[in-house]
Amino acid sequence: MTRFRRFLVSDHLAGWTFILPSVVLVGLFGLVPIVWGLILSFQKAGLISPEREWVGFENYARILSDPKARQAAVNTISYTVLFVPISILLALFVAHALNRKIALIRFYRLAVFIPVVTSTIATGIMFLWLLDKNFGLANWLLDRIGVGPFGFFEDPHQAMGALVLMTVWGWLGFDTIIYLAALQGVPQELIEAAAIDGASRWSSFWRITWPMLGPATLLLVVWSTISALQLFDEVFFVTKGGPLGRTSVVVFYVYRLAFEQGLGGLSLAGYAAAIAYVLFLVILVLTLAQFWLGRRVIHYQS
Amino acid sequence: MRKRFFVLLAAFGLMTSACTGGGDDGNTPSESPSGPVTLTFWHGYSDAEADSLKALLDEWNAANPDIQVESLYVNNDKALQKLTVALQGGEPPDITYQYGSSLPQLAEAPGLVDLTDWVKEPDVNWEDFIAGARTAATFDGKVLGLPALIDDLAIVYNKTLFDDAGLDYPSDQWTWDDLRAAAKALTNTADKRFGFAYPMDASEDSVWHYDPLLWQLGGSILNEDESQAAFNSPEGVQALEVLTGMAVDDKSVYLDIQNSAYTEIFNSGRIGMLMTGPWDLSSFPDVDYGVEILPGFDGDHQTIAGPDMWCVFDNGGGRKEAALKFLTWLTAPDQIKKEALATGHLPIRLSVAQDTAFLDDFGATFPGIDVFAENLANVVQARPVLAAYPSISEAMGLAIVSAMLGESEPKAALDEAAAQSNDALALGAG
Repeated sequence: MTRFRRFLVSDHLAGWTFILPSVVLVGLFGLVPIVWGLILSFQKAGLISPEREWVGFENYARILSDPKARQAAVNTISYTVLFVPISILLALFVAHALNRKIALIRFYRLAVFIPVVTSTIATGIMFLWLLDKNFGLANWLLDRIGVGPFGFFEDPHQAMGALVLMTVWGWLGFDTIIYLAALQGVPQELIEAAAIDGASRWSSFWRITWPMLGPATLLLVVWSTISALQLFDEVFFVTKGGPLGRTSVVVFYVYRLAFEQGLGGLSLAGYAAAIAYVLFLVILVLTLAQFWLGRRVIHYQS
Repeated sequence: MRKRFFVLLAAFGLMTSACTGGGDDGNTPSESPSGPVTLTFWHGYSDAEADSLKALLDEWNAANPDIQVESLYVNNDKALQKLTVALQGGEPPDITYQYGSSLPQLAEAPGLVDLTDWVKEPDVNWEDFIAGARTAATFDGKVLGLPALIDDLAIVYNKTLFDDAGLDYPSDQWTWDDLRAAAKALTNTADKRFGFAYPMDASEDSVWHYDPLLWQLGGSILNEDESQAAFNSPEGVQALEVLTGMAVDDKSVYLDIQNSAYTEIFNSGRIGMLMTGPWDLSSFPDVDYGVEILPGFDGDHQTIAGPDMWCVFDNGGGRKEAALKFLTWLTAPDQIKKEALATGHLPIRLSVAQDTAFLDDFGATFPGIDVFAENLANVVQARPVLAAYPSISEAMGLAIVSAMLGESEPKAALDEAAAQSNDALALGAG
């Protein structure tokens, strides 16, 4: 048998055939753009004009002196710092509340998850109406108890908070499901043993349940951080980066540079690609750090 | 959140094709159309506009079997982005609708037809197009588009609210102080009623509502040779102080942060006056409205125009000639009248705008539109057509919104925007 025929009847061919569609898709829409994006980040280039000029690290150097890039970075960091802990702690609380046998529990679990599968546009329209400064339901209710009115998305100092509120609501269900599954994996005999030894519910939660949830928490921290740093949809649709750029996050800024201002004339697509690459590196380093830290502090069940 | 990842990927993807495409610009030598040609024609017209356009296209296609025009709807706000993608693919449309403000970017597009010589042909009757529209279609001395649509800003007011408050309707003698006083009188905070409204999304929409005030006072956006920002002059500050006085001190302005709600709120009778263009009139079926030209400073009531245009791409094989022939017909007075009466578009040609029989018909079909049509005579200046303009517009938009939100002082905000604009201008020159 020739090597080729041996290859034809071996498991290799079947294996490659099975993964071929994914390889082609990932290659075409993943790897190729990633490499081209890297090349573009070293060029002065717009998207309309075919002219390309190699500028080395100029695009990267420019980021440091761009106040709008700094503003986008600060916005992204404050969003992440707010979004990640709030969404995870809230999910833990909700998952704990849903982890019991009560009437209609399936309905409650479904209700918590529905926002996750609702389109961002629908969520956005709903929150724009609810949180409208003059005509929104939220301000109407707050007015009944003598508070407000709040500007929410219309107030430069509150828009980021409103954005966090909206996205936490939208993604709470996902985090909750992960925690709910993890909670059901916590061995009941440990809790019972602790109860017999006289541990309070509070301390058995913090000493048994919480450590056992470590892997799930790590997953959620890594996942939420990456998603928060890549926030785009909600900003694009609801706030458009405003008011006064207070919700202009990095990916949104990249989009604006490349596809709104950078079309042709100002040749900003290369600069936008450079920012995208810096964000990629930040996410990579942060994720590796989180995993490294996670391995040292997390208890894995044997 | 998965979606976000793909957005980023898609962004990369588009940048990618940016590197590979754009080579073939269809520079095949032009020849006269030998067989039947089918032209691709992008427009952003919807509803009544689309019906009217379709009727015109059907008429053309029936009469010209050799030059068939196939239309495709492309949202106007996305027309430049969509064109960018088509250019990367090497297949631009033969004719596309574009905003006048996109001209500097379009000028770099491979295959864009320079119309400078062609518009000298008598059939085109170039001088008959409204001056502001001709300026806006010209970049670096080259005519790069044929005017398609023109709008101007005027005051649209709710007659019922004025009657209830016992106020006189706006007149063509009004000053901005009159408007401010009326807006204050019409405002009722408890009832959520506002005297005036302003687009606050810091886009070009926030800027061009401010420009007429600046110009009426004798100020300008840039200096004479367009090398430095000039809008932070005392005139510019005074213009912005009119707006901040209303927004911050009187609180008589509905500040539309997302720039998406003011039409509905006006239509529900909670806004007294709007500064807007004819395209909004069809959104006000529930309001008994009137239209008046802008208030003025010292008797200067000039306004601003937002012209859009048809751009042509040379795809070879006689298609360019066919496209130009079609556009000549589409922008001829007869077609412009038909379109105007069906859609409420202001006439883009002077001969039509001054045709009294037509104006009577026009005003009868669309109440108040005749004021917008006559207001075209108040268009004196145009915004600068420069590659750096999007950056200047962004800086000005942020300054105006920031001052009107009470976040900064008008002078300081405009000074900062001027500094940023000067940076952008320096970059464009270098």
